Order: sequence, then C-alpha cells, then structure tokens
Amino acid sequence: MSITLDQITKRYQGVPVVNDVSIDIQEGEFFVLLGSSGSGKSTLLRAIAGLTGVDHGRISLHGRDVTHVAARARGVGLVFQNYALFRHMTVADNIEFALRVRRVKALERRRRRAELLRLVALEGMDQRLPAQLSGGQQQRVAVARALAHNPEVLLLDEPFGALDAKIREELRRTIRQVQRELGITTILVTHDQDEAFALADRIGVMNLGRLLEVGRPEDLYARPATRFVATFLGAANLLLARRGTRGINFGGGPVIPRVSDGPAPGREQEVVTVLRPEEIELAADREALGCSYMDAGTVEEVLSVGALERIRVRLTGAAAAQLLSAGEERAILDVTRTRHEQRVFPVAAGQHVAIGVRRLHVLSTPLSSFTACAPDEGGARALSRQPLLVELAARMNTRVSARVEPQLGVGEPAPGGSPATCIGCAVVAARRESGRDIAWLLQGGAESVLVLPRDTPAPRRVLIHWEDEEVRRATLAASASLLRHLAAEAIYIGILPGGSTDAQRPVGMRSLLDARSEAQAVHGLDMRTELRFGEVAAELSQRLAEAPDQLLILGISGIDSLTARFALLFADPARPVLVIHQPGSGRDHHPGAQPQAAGSERHGPDRTLAGAAQTAGGPA
Amino acid sequence: MSARRFLQPSVLPGFGLTFGFTTFFLSAVVLIPLAALVVKAASMHWTDFLSVVLSRRALGAYRLSFGASLLAATINLGFGFLTAWTLVRYRFPGRAFIDALIDLPFALPTAVSGIALTSVFSPTGPLGRPLAQAGIQVAYTWIGVTVALTLIGLPFLVRTIQPALTEIQRDLEDAAETLGAGRLYTFRRIILPALAPALLTGFAMAFARGVGEYGSVIFISGNLPMKTEIAPLLIVIHLEEFDYAGAAALGVVMLVMSFIGLLAINLLQAWGRRRIASAR
Repeated sequence: MSITLDQITKRYQGVPVVNDVSIDIQEGEFFVLLGSSGSGKSTLLRAIAGLTGVDHGRISLHGRDVTHVAARARGVGLVFQNYALFRHMTVADNIEFALRVRRVKALERRRRRAELLRLVALEGMDQRLPAQLSGGQQQRVAVARALAHNPEVLLLDEPFGALDAKIREELRRTIRQVQRELGITTILVTHDQDEAFALADRIGVMNLGRLLEVGRPEDLYARPATRFVATFLGAANLLLARRGTRGINFGGGPVIPRVSDGPAPGREQEVVTVLRPEEIELAADREALGCSYMDAGTVEEVLSVGALERIRVRLTGAAAAQLLSAGEERAILDVTRTRHEQRVFPVAAGQHVAIGVRRLHVLSTPLSSFTACAPDEGGARALSRQPLLVELAARMNTRVSARVEPQLGVGEPAPGGSPATCIGCAVVAARRESGRDIAWLLQGGAESVLVLPRDTPAPRRVLIHWEDEEVRRATLAASASLLRHLAAEAIYIGILPGGSTDAQRPVGMRSLLDARSEAQAVHGLDMRTELRFGEVAAELSQRLAEAPDQLLILGISGIDSLTARFALLFADPARPVLVIHQPGSGRDHHPGAQPQAAGSERHGPDRTLAGAAQTAGGPA
Repeated sequence: MSARRFLQPSVLPGFGLTFGFTTFFLSAVVLIPLAALVVKAASMHWTDFLSVVLSRRALGAYRLSFGASLLAATINLGFGFLTAWTLVRYRFPGRAFIDALIDLPFALPTAVSGIALTSVFSPTGPLGRPLAQAGIQVAYTWIGVTVALTLIGLPFLVRTIQPALTEIQRDLEDAAETLGAGRLYTFRRIILPALAPALLTGFAMAFARGVGEYGSVIFISGNLPMKTEIAPLLIVIHLEEFDYAGAAALGVVMLVMSFIGLLAINLLQAWGRRRIASAR
C-alpha cells in the first residue's frame, strides 16, 4: 500500500472540512480526488503533503507513519495550480532546488536536470526565467521540480486549472506519460470530471469533506451508489420510483420489469433511479420503441452540440411527478442522442414522443424522499417547509411532500386504525409524545421516521446507535445516506449494561469495530466509535445533552421498544431523532440482506436493471 | 528613434502634453529652486565655500546626519520587515489598529514626535531613566538622533514591504517546504530575493527622509556642535546668522551626497530587476 489514509479529519473552527476520510492507494496508482470547491479535496491533499496538520487520523506513506512528520521530510512532490515557481530563479535553478537543499553535487544535479527536462519535454529551456515561459511550460517546470528529489508520491493540486483547453489536454497527456514512465503513485485533485475520467485509475468523489465513493471511473459512472455521485459524474435524471416484485414503476405508470438478479424486495419500496440521458430512447409511439416504455412527453428544446444532440423533454404522464430535477424546472428529462439516433427518428420542439428506457440504475439509498406528516394540513405544510428539512431535501436532491395523518398528535392513536401506507422517510414534528407518533407511522409501514424540532439547526454531530444487530445494516444504510449530505461527524455509540464484567468488554469492543468496518466497507462511511456502560436510553440521553446540535439515529428492531426502552429520548422535544425500523426484521429479510459481493469494493451488489430491451413490447 | 516612442498612444492624452507638464512642474517645484541653491552657493568664492563645507563643525554634522540616517534605515530594514510580516501574515484582534498606527509618524508634525521622544528618553523619562541607570544615555546623544530617525523612517519600510509581501504567494513557501527546504533556507532563497526590490526602495526612502529630517531630531539631539548637531540644523544656524551663502553651500553638499546615495540605490535596484528580468 503506497498511501494509506486512516480516518483523516480536519476541522476549521469546529466544522469538519475533511471528515473521517480513509483511502488505500496502491503502488503506482493514479488516483483522482474529485469534488466541487469546498469539498475538502485540496485540504486533504495538503494534509498528505504535510502542509496542513490533521485533527484526527493517521497518514502513512509506504508503510511509514508520517502523520507527525514535517512536509520537508515526507518525500512528496507537490504541484500547485498557480505553478508556484520561484520567479527569480532560472528553470535550471528551480528544478535543482530540491537537489541543492540536499547538497547534491553539481555534476549529478546537472544530469538529473537534463533527465527531468527531457521527461517533461522542455529540453534546452534551462536558462529561461519562468516569466519567459507560457503557462503550460511553467507547469511542466513545476512538475519537473516536484520530481527532482525522487519523491515516493506525486501530488497535483488542480494543475490544469489556469490553462486553456488545448494546453490542458497536452499537459494532461504529458503528466499521464510521466506518471506511467516513473510508476510513481500519484494523487490529483480536480473539480473537472473529464480530467478525472481521462487520468484516473480510480476516482474518489468528495463532498462536504466526506469521501463518498471510490472506484474505477467506468464503475462509478455505471453504478453510482449515491445521488451525489450519480449527478456529479456525468449528467443524470433522477426519478423516484416504486420497486416491487414485478419491477419498477414511476408513479402508477407502466412497470419496467427487472431483469437483473438482485435480491427481490420483500415488499414494495420507494427507490431512487438514475437514468443517464444516453440511455433514454425516443420514438413516435410506444410500439416503435426498442425498449421498455416509460412515459409520454413533449419535446421542449433540441440543441445540437457537435456529434450529439441534447434534447429536453417535458414528461406528460405519471412519471412527471417522480422526476427529481434540480432547480425550478420540474418534469424535464434530459436526453442525449447520437447522430444515428437522430437520423432514425428526427425530432423537433413541440413534438409528442414516447419515452423508453434502455438501462436503469437503482440507487440503494434508503432515504429516498421525505413525507411530512401532521394531523392537519397547515401543520403538515409548515413541517414540510422546516428549513433543515428543505435544506436536506435540496442537498439530497429529493422532495418533501406533505401529508395529513389525522391520527397523529391526538395523544393516543386509535388502536387498530391502520395508517395509510407510508413510503420514504416520514417526518413528524417533535413533541413529548413523539414516541407514539413514530410507533404509529412504523405500523403503517414506514421504515424511517425523522423527528424534527421546530427550529433545529443543521447537526454538527450525528450519534448512531442500534438496538440489536438485526437492524445494524438498515441503520447504517440510512446513516450513510444522511451523512453524505451533512457536514457532521458520525459517532457510533455502543452501550454495554452497567454491570458488565471485564470479560464482556472485548465483546463490546469487537462489536464496535465490526460496526465501523461494515460502515466503511459497505457504505464508504467512516465513523468513530464510543463504548459506554449503563442503561441504554439514559446513556444516549446523557451523551446528547453533552453538546448542542446533535442528531441521533436510532435503529430499533421492535416497535414496542420505542415506548418500552427509549421513551426517555423523546422526552426533550428539542432533539432531532431519526428512527430506523426494519419491518419484519429477522428471518424474511435478513438472510437475503445483500451479502457483500466479493471484489466489489463497497456499496453492495450491482442493482442495475439492464437489458430491458429483451422485453420489448413490454409490460402489461 | 526616441520620437517614435513618444508617439505611442496611451490612456493619457498624448506624450507631448504629459511630458510637458511633467517637466514644467518638476522645474517649478524641484529643479529651479535647487538650481537657485547652487547659484547662491556659486556666488561665494571657492575658498570661502570650502572653508564652510569642510569646517570641522560641518564635517561632524554630515557624519551624524548621514551616519544616523543610514543606521536608522538599517534598523528599520529589520524592524519594518517584521512589522509588515506580522501585519500581512497574521490575523489578530487590533490588526487594523496597528496598521493605522504605522502611518502616524507621517501625519504627526515632526516637532511633536521630537518632543514626545525627548520626554520619554530623557534621563528622567520613563524609558530614559532605566536606560541611563544601565549606562546608556539616549537623549542628547547620537543614539537619540538614531531613535528619532528610526521612528520617522519606519512607515516608509512597512508601506513598501507590505504590498510586496502580500504578493508573495504562500504556495512558494509550501513548494519550498515540500522540496525539502528548511525555514531559514526558504527565507534566504525564496522570500528575501522576492522582497529585495521593496526592501531597497523602502531603505532608500527612509534614508533620504532621515537625512532631511529636522523637526523631530533637534529636540532629542541636544545640538552640541560637532557631537549631536545634524546638518539641517547647521544650515538653519547659518540662516539665522543671515549667512545665506554659507547655508546654500552646506545645502549643495547635502544635495550632492543625497543624490549620489539615492542614485546608487536606484542603480542597484535596476540591476537587480534586470537580473530577475521583471518577474512580473
């Protein structure tokens, strides 16, 4: 392992900018950290270089723990976006800087310089000053300079940021070539997905200080695990859908049969689906489609961009309401078509078309959407506009709907009166009797209920606890889903009974470690762990009282335990709590609970539904 | 050949016009008065001239004026650099306040600074007393003169270094560090060369100002002929004795010496700039 990061956390004024990041980077690998500005990617790179200290975690380079080693002793080469060349020195002096520092003899210096200049294709430029070179040449010098002392690791911080497109591509090729030739482990930070695709052996996508997903470019594109990666890497249409035993349907529309052999869901679930613009087919009518029919639509805009054609189609059928478009324009589906497709079926704005789906990817995200539930319409609407909820929904690229649930808030819901089926994550206002509200919604089939106080700020820390191991998986999945969109640190709290003997402690510790490694392996979620002793609800309650702005994620296996064990947690209505419940946890769900596919790095098995074309003519 | 350069268009209306105004004002404000000075001095017989400008009293005054100015400017080189560094590189409460404080010596009537310094550094003053007990007499010695000139010169250094320092990117230091350089090495090889032009300019300005300084020095210097009498004061003394020609003669000598000094610094700078080949 060339570079190993273990739970790196860096905070600025209490806010984590790099949040529990762990990566293993192989010898000779070209690793790209991709993220928008402010995602923490540059801070992470500086931490690896040793220019920024970390608040938590360990960094090792080639098995050597360098967490507390100064930058100058780490043996890394760093290339900056603005070149950072020493302008009063010639190219030769710049390149030889690291060698002079190390008191390398003049002859050897000259030999090394010539070698490096050849590597970056700048022979004969030795005596130029940086100001006499173009931007691309300056960056080449910077690369040569960073390699002069034979570093074990090359770090590139947005190296092409200041260059224009053509030079950028040229330099990209040079860097890839240099990297291959030297076989040097390289990390490149960028916000440009083209760059990431062009260079990376593996890409790590960062958002809000967290490393969301790591994988080979083509895998991340085809099978993203999170909404963020789905939309950040390439264009994507996100749609809410219901997945049942027969397949997937978008809000009462036709069912798109599932063809892949993932685990069959026990019952109908709400899921988020990813539709790449190039996987959508347009045709004059349903019969003419070569793949599964999805919905009808009207062409809004046709834009030719060279080889491809970009079309915006307004959905007119049932699927319209399911589309999770960012921004104002709802119900607009992005479609791209090749020249060939354009010839087969030319379209113009205003035309009615049938829309088909060639390939669909289902995200394994448990918090698919939010439903604000309240006993009256005003309450439900007010709750659905709660700032934190709105913010969360926006970040998660999903929607909040309001629903009247008259049985809520009347004290004791009428026994036997079963609530309407609840799909997605239910949200209720926090009150003293929240425990009962949650129980009521869970009985109606909700799998998660978020209890939200009126003016709760975004949590800075999320505490995670589950009642027993049967809900571990569900709780972790929901926690990961939520935490990807929050700049908060995650702590798993394990609690052993107060009178635990010393013999029990290792067991407790082991369960903590198991929890941590599962979160990391399956969800790419890094969390810290804490072991406490005592009565569960009292300990959690005490931990919550220790600091403000904390959110609790609680996994329960039986609805009864809400009132039986955890009533204390809902006594303070100022506390946001997310309750996760796995219905029928135990036999019918657990065995099939997605064993980690070997080889796949994280994020569960492939749930892509592919080859829908086989069932052309389609579903009833 | 140079006519072509004159005709190059620019934002300001025409080279001819701007050049004309420049020479006119420069003449009216600088050249003609200076020429008058030389003419006045030239009215003396050259033996008289020499006896005035080479008198022991005059030589002592030059030595103090130029020596103390040089010393003060040198002190300010370090002191001003540190101040500018602190102001540019750190964010701390009261930073804006200190930043504003730097300019005070510019704004204050120099006599006020002189009186203030004297009261502080006189043997009975709050700083002068402990220093006197330690055997260091500040007020009424050349040390006092240097202190006054340091105060006066500080803003020149700080204000010239500040923008140059802001322009040095943090990345340069980071780059040097990842390449294995220690702090001292980075400072010597990266920061200092980049700051050199600004340091020289500031130094030259502080030195020039020190040589011409009058108000703040005469209070603290004690004005003992040949010991703590500065050249500008000697000129004033000549004037008070209605010896205009003598005053002019001393003035010319100072003028020439200052000009040579400043020219030397400017040439040094131009040479350095050529070496760096206009880094920006």
